[in-house]
Order: sequence, then structure tokens, then C-alpha cells
Amino acid sequence: MNNNDKNYIQLIYRLIVIVISFGFFIIIWPYISSVVTMLIFAFLFTTILLPLVDQLESKIKSRGISIVIVTISLITTFVVFLKSFASGMVSQAREFSKQIETKGYDDNLNSLSTNLESYLNKYINIPDIDSSNFVSKLNVMVGEIIQNLMSLASAIGGFIFTTIMVLIFTIILLSNYYEFKKSIVQFIPNKYFEMGLRVIFNIERQVSKYLQGQLLAASSVALMSFIGLSILNLMGANLTLVVFIAIIAGLANLIPLVGPFAGMLPAILIAIMNNIGFDVAINHQIFNTIPSPFYILDIIIMFLIVQQIDNNIITPILVGESVGIHPLIVMISLLIGGTLIGPIGMLLAVPAAGILKVIGVEIMFLRRNAHLL
Amino acid sequence: MKNAYWKNIFTNWGKEESETVTIIKRIPIFANLNHKELEEVSKLLHDRIYKPDEYVFKRHAPGEGMFIIHSGIVNIIVGEASGNSQVLAELSNGDFFGEMALMEDEVRSAAALAQDHTRLLGFFRPDLEALIEINPSLGNKILQNLSKVVCTRLRKTNELLMENQLKKKNK
Repeated sequence: MNNNDKNYIQLIYRLIVIVISFGFFIIIWPYISSVVTMLIFAFLFTTILLPLVDQLESKIKSRGISIVIVTISLITTFVVFLKSFASGMVSQAREFSKQIETKGYDDNLNSLSTNLESYLNKYINIPDIDSSNFVSKLNVMVGEIIQNLMSLASAIGGFIFTTIMVLIFTIILLSNYYEFKKSIVQFIPNKYFEMGLRVIFNIERQVSKYLQGQLLAASSVALMSFIGLSILNLMGANLTLVVFIAIIAGLANLIPLVGPFAGMLPAILIAIMNNIGFDVAINHQIFNTIPSPFYILDIIIMFLIVQQIDNNIITPILVGESVGIHPLIVMISLLIGGTLIGPIGMLLAVPAAGILKVIGVEIMFLRRNAHLL
Repeated sequence: MKNAYWKNIFTNWGKEESETVTIIKRIPIFANLNHKELEEVSKLLHDRIYKPDEYVFKRHAPGEGMFIIHSGIVNIIVGEASGNSQVLAELSNGDFFGEMALMEDEVRSAAALAQDHTRLLGFFRPDLEALIEINPSLGNKILQNLSKVVCTRLRKTNELLMENQLKKKNK
């Protein structure tokens, strides 16, 4: 058997191993996917929190206490935010319904719906509600509502379980991060050891830089949105929950392309809710020329200015060329991420593409310098 | 039962220092470090086993850190592998090499080849950087020691250079 035959057999052998591993992976994926997702999130949180824990450890000389402090402050911030947001939303909704009732807009809305129904009846044949059938339909509807509530409860339960698990994984990873990394690295063969360390280090640095940059950019978007919304309020936009709208806009900004537009929606919604019935707001015009009912156009322009400042000044400085992926690749990765696991996939798509890019660059480097191994 | 309980709690008391600590405390880069600091450093070291004639690294390969010889022999080789290579130094237990890579992201200036079954302890730049973040005073001590080692090497190289130049002049 000559060398060529040997290489050929080796290649076939490798291909078979790859196909079998891939098949095995596809079979077991449904069973491990949730754990893998939890681990990915735990890893991302660890990457964000690690510098904070390290910094704190250098001050108080105890990693355990540092982790406890960071975790408790994080949970407290999250809970306080959720609680005040929920109470703010409830009071906002209450205020809105009170406003509608006192000003008699419910009658207006009812007459509007009746008009709309009669108008539609001219073109579309809407069947009359049969009263005998109505009770059975109501029963079915109640059953469906209960079923939906149960699935909602199970989804909330699942979310709480996942959050707790991610928190536990994050705490474990934070406390044993360097030992954990060492135990992974030890499986790298001697020949590729330093190269492997280099790849892991570069990936770590890339992801950490990207995530921290993104978080800083999100904070700056939140701050700028807050300032912008406050200016709009001075102009008479009558917006409430400004802090929350700004935070949501900042967080939404983490999802490229889609996020910035999603971030505008709460502001527009609250502007409509607060200004309904006020003629000044309904007839508002920008520079007394362009009509902008409920200050909607003002809000859109403000967010567009914030995004331009963020995209052209802040993000390039903070995130810089850390990922440096072509916009087309960003779009493709967003589409793939969104299709695979929804909004979370879109959030993870760009760092994942960044990791693949680092691996690709290192593989190219390895191929060029194979004689050095 | 009670004894077993206390024995379990104070299991680390009076425990002898680990083999790794015994080795690294003799290395000039870890001089002046107290026992706790040495333990902290030892947690970051990577234990690697090399077969005879296995390269630890080749010349011009990207360097990520230094190696300490736990047991075995390592030859430091300069020149091309094709023929005119020359063994610059033969290192054994307790010696260290590749420390320049701790300070700069450059390629290796020489190759390192295991001569025997060799056990090495690797200390790498990313870990040193993390250590500087977590424990700046310890990181600072190591960096100072490292600069002392590099200064000593530089002084020796200067002396060799001057000797050579003097020899050339005398000829």
C-alpha cells in the first residue's frame, strides 16, 4: 500500500467519523438543546461579569464574597426594575382607562366600532350571532382561555427555572472560571497547545470586548433617549415612564437592525395613550409645517438622531473593530439566528459570527504556519 | 465521630506544600512570593507531558508563555531544522525557558525539543494578564522579577558581545 492509498483511506475514515458524529449530534440535540442554551447564556453572563468580579476580588481579596456582591446587586437591580416597571405600567393603564371613561371616549369608540361594523357589512357578509350557539361558543372560548392561561403559567415556570439554572451555572463558572478553562485546555494535544491557547484567548477577548462594548453602547442609547424624551416633554409631548422607555430602547438596541425600531414603539404607544383627546397634541406640527399627531414624528426623529449618534460615533469608539464583520454577513447571521431561535438568536448572532470569524482567522494562520507545529 | 469531623475541616492544616510549589519557588520569576501567592500561581500552571524528540515549540512559532521543567531534559535549538541547527542550551529539572513570550506577542526566537520523557509546567501570558487584574500586587511582583531576569540576560549578552569585540580587536 503506497502513501497515496493510505491518505485516501484516512480521508474516507475521517469522513465516516464526521458523518456519524454529525448524525449522533442531530439525534441527541433535542435532548440537550435547552441545557446548551442555558450554558451559552451562562457563558455570556460570565464573560460580562468576569471583569467586575476580578476587579472586586482585587479590592476585597475574596472571590466568593465578590461573586455574592455582584450577583445580589444584579438580582436587586433586575427585581427593582421589573417591579417599578410593572407598577408604572399598571398606573399608566389605569390612568388611560380613567381618561377614556371621564372624557366619554368609550362612547366614541363604541359608536366607531358600530359604524365600522355597519360599513363593513356593506362589503363583507358578517354572519349574525346566533344566541343558542352563543353559549356553546362562549364555553369553548372560556376553555381556550383557561388552556392559554395554563400554557402561559407553564411558560413562566419554564422561564423562572431557566433563569435560576442560568444563574447557578453563571455563579459556578464565575467562581471556577480559570480552573474550568484550564481543565478544557488540558485536552489540547501538545502540537496544538500554544495555538489552542491563543485561539481560546482571542475568542475570549473578542466576545468580552464585543459584549462590554455593546452594553456600554446600549447604556449610552438609553441615556441619550432619556435626554431626547425629556426635551420632547419640555416641548409638551406629555410622555410618562421616560426612564423605562429609555432603558427598553437601550436594551432593544442590542439587537442589530430590528432593535432600534422596536425601541421606538413603547414611546409612541405612551405618547398616544397620554395625549388622546388633547387637541394640541393631535394637531401638533413640527416647525409649524409638518403634521405630527401625538408627537409621533418628533419621537421617530429623536430616536433616529440617537441612532445616528450611536451608529456613527459611540459604537465605533466603544465596540470599534472588535468584531469587524461585513454588514452583509451581519444580516445573514441575524436571519439565521432569528430563524433558528427567534429574538435570542438575533441577539447571539453577531457575537457567534465574531467567534466563527476568529476561529476562521486562526485556522488560516495555522494553515499558513503548519510547518511550525 | 467528632474527631473525624474536625479532621475533615482542618484537612488543609499542616498539609505539606505541593510538588509544584516546591519547584516554582526556586524559579527567579517567582522569587519573593509568599506561600499563598505561590499556591495562587500554581493553580494557573498547565501540566504537560512530552515524549522524547517531541517539539515543545518550533522556531518562529507564535509564543504564548514560558515553560518550567518539572522533570526531564529540553534542548534549546537555534538555526534551521534542515541541517545547520545548533543546541544552544540543555535544560533540566527546575530550569525554565520561553519567558520572553510572557511580555511580548512575538514569535519564538529558538526551538525547544524534549530529549527525554519530560514533564513541563506552562505559565502563559493570558493567565499572567488575568493575575495582574485580580491580584495586582502579585502580578507586579512577577513582572518585576521578570524584568530582573531579562536585565540579567541582557547584561550577560552585553558582556559576551564586548568579549567578542575585544577578541576581534586583539586579532
